[in-house]
Amino acid sequence: MTQTDILSSEQEDLRLLRESARTLFERAGGSDRARKLRDAGGGFDAEMVRELAEAGVFGVAVPEDQGGLGMGLAAGGVIAEEVGRVIAPEPVVLTIGLSLGLLRRLCPDHPKMAQLIGGEISLAVAWQERGPGGAPADATCRYADGKLTGGKAWVVGATGSQGFLVVAEQDEGPVLVLTEADADGLVIDKRTQADGSSSGELSFSGTPAAELARGDAVQAALEEAVVDTTALAAAELVGLSGRAIEITLDYIKTREQFDKPIGSFQVIQHRAVDLNVMCEVAQAGVRAALAQMDSETDPKVRTPIASRAKARAVTAAKKITRDAIQLHGAVGYTDEFDIGLYLNRALVLSAWLGDDTYHRRIWFEAREAEGAAQ
Amino acid sequence: MTDWNAMSDAEFRKEVRQFFEAEYPEELRHLPHRPKFAEIEHWHRKLHAKGWVAPAWPAEFGGMGLNAAKLLIFYEEQQRWGVNRGRDMGVQMVGPLIIKFGTREQKDYWLPRILSCEDIWCQGYSEPGAGSDLANLRTRAEIDGDDFVINGQKIWTTMAHDATHIFMLVRTDPDAPKKQQGISFLLAPMDQPGVDVRTITTLSGETEFCEVFFDNARTPRENLVGELNKGWTMAKALLSFERIFIGSPSLAQNALGQLESFARGRGAFDDPVFRDRFAQAALDVEDHAALYARFADQLKRGETLGADVSMLKIWVTECFQRITELMIEAAGPDGGTIGPLQVGNVSVDVLSSFYKARPTTIYGGSNEIQRNILSKAVLGLPG
Repeated sequence: MTQTDILSSEQEDLRLLRESARTLFERAGGSDRARKLRDAGGGFDAEMVRELAEAGVFGVAVPEDQGGLGMGLAAGGVIAEEVGRVIAPEPVVLTIGLSLGLLRRLCPDHPKMAQLIGGEISLAVAWQERGPGGAPADATCRYADGKLTGGKAWVVGATGSQGFLVVAEQDEGPVLVLTEADADGLVIDKRTQADGSSSGELSFSGTPAAELARGDAVQAALEEAVVDTTALAAAELVGLSGRAIEITLDYIKTREQFDKPIGSFQVIQHRAVDLNVMCEVAQAGVRAALAQMDSETDPKVRTPIASRAKARAVTAAKKITRDAIQLHGAVGYTDEFDIGLYLNRALVLSAWLGDDTYHRRIWFEAREAEGAAQ
Repeated sequence: MTDWNAMSDAEFRKEVRQFFEAEYPEELRHLPHRPKFAEIEHWHRKLHAKGWVAPAWPAEFGGMGLNAAKLLIFYEEQQRWGVNRGRDMGVQMVGPLIIKFGTREQKDYWLPRILSCEDIWCQGYSEPGAGSDLANLRTRAEIDGDDFVINGQKIWTTMAHDATHIFMLVRTDPDAPKKQQGISFLLAPMDQPGVDVRTITTLSGETEFCEVFFDNARTPRENLVGELNKGWTMAKALLSFERIFIGSPSLAQNALGQLESFARGRGAFDDPVFRDRFAQAALDVEDHAALYARFADQLKRGETLGADVSMLKIWVTECFQRITELMIEAAGPDGGTIGPLQVGNVSVDVLSSFYKARPTTIYGGSNEIQRNILSKAVLGLPG
């Protein structure tokens, strides 16, 4: 086999994966499902999680010898794009990137791995904390003698998860522990997000938990899992942006003003083209970044690549979803049209794990450090 | 004869790179202006001796016969080393038309003269009333005995003052039912009474463009290429490859490199706002390269490019302009100064790159026209 053949068979695998994920989501109801779940109070559909698991979605980036498909982040990105297209609320990126990202690096033999891959459970990851002013702060949540104290913030997927993977401090350094969702002394304060999902603020008072891993490895695995998840979130934003443009194009082709479809006006056409170009650049950039990350192991190299992806995807998604509202005119501001769901989801994904300005800074600093090292 | 296409991409790239690095004169690298032929004649002779003047032409006509993938590599290396394209209107535009549509006699006569630069060509497409709306052209050519008699005016004719011949689109049937019909592709000598060339000085003070006036100028009837009144379709048939070339990342990449060294020398990176804007520009270029690679892969697989390739041009030219604007900002009070600015051991002409970026959004079909193309052909928006 030549290099080109290998590349194209990989491309073919990804294409098939994309098709099956798309079919699955469309059959389940596309973006209408997102609206229904939101109106029902947030959360996700456990049945859908099981179907996704059957399609191999969660184990896509888990190595084969750990029970996954071993297809890498590029494949995770394909699925994330499809999740973005229908704004599926299921914890797909969360599971592929964060919970499995942590477990496969720290305790690949733990039975929760198989349960996550099999879609039997989902686990939210609690690793960030909020300082007194509301901004992110250093970890103070502690674990000792099998019990957790303190709190965690911005826990995505807190509603609907069977348990939490908590990164806490102990005297010997960081520790990863598992606590059940209904554990004693755990209070979950739900903060509603723009898209109807909730971000959990957790507080622990002597909450029982089981240690999974400890030491510097925890910190390293966390950083790597966060970097993976950042890139996957970028892919989700790319999928979302692409679909937002399609919806907008359908609208401006049919909506008439002055006896013509508004999409026949040049000023509207040029704006639509600019959004499309922006989206194509984002798609190409993010896909290239994910493929690069798959061929790299050095975190110093992978981190700025993920930042490049997220910076691009956030910049594009922000502009695309906001302009999509403008192109819809007044109805774009109502909740009756789907385009608003995309704007709201973009707001949440943009803020999660760092926005574009933040990631450009990370990217730039890594570039400077690399330059200084040479 | 070497079959370049049989080489691996890496081997071919190495071969091209070595030749450019060894043979291309240092003082001509990254020339800021379009050179007159005399200035690059020496280099042209070397290329000609090597048989490398026309990389895209079939070998039987004296070209290298490169396929799309090899051609992209050739151009990438050319741009990387700052090799000037020279006077390539003959090779890039009129040659391929003659190869595709010309008679045996036309091929035998004109093609070798293009390769040797015995004839130096300029392109007569645009007119004062027909720029992006080329179908609107009015320059007339009427048959009179064995000749065409030409009357009218061309404009934005690059380097016409240094050309011996012009290839042009002219109206040969003013009564054709549609504007795009009744247009023919004609070759004409410049050195004759009735052809008047006036140079146009650009914003940057260069004389690159000209106006060309025709007042009963003549050219023999055998200088008609292809069928009478079919010039429009012929000219359009050859645009596909040019459209990826015009959207290549090189101009923006070079400018970004310049911006970085200049801004470092000036201490502009101490400012966090500048850092962010630089990062934006750098990522704009990097992600454009990812999109460009997608189109290049299409060519390498032997597919033809669709209208969507226009997005490369829009993105990269506007990005190029933003970079050159950042350069001016980094120059601070020197931002309006003509000529090179010395910064540490590099010297950067801030205004020259700014000026160079201006026409990129205009030429090759303005970016507005590219947007019109994309909106109709790619997004399917109504007329």
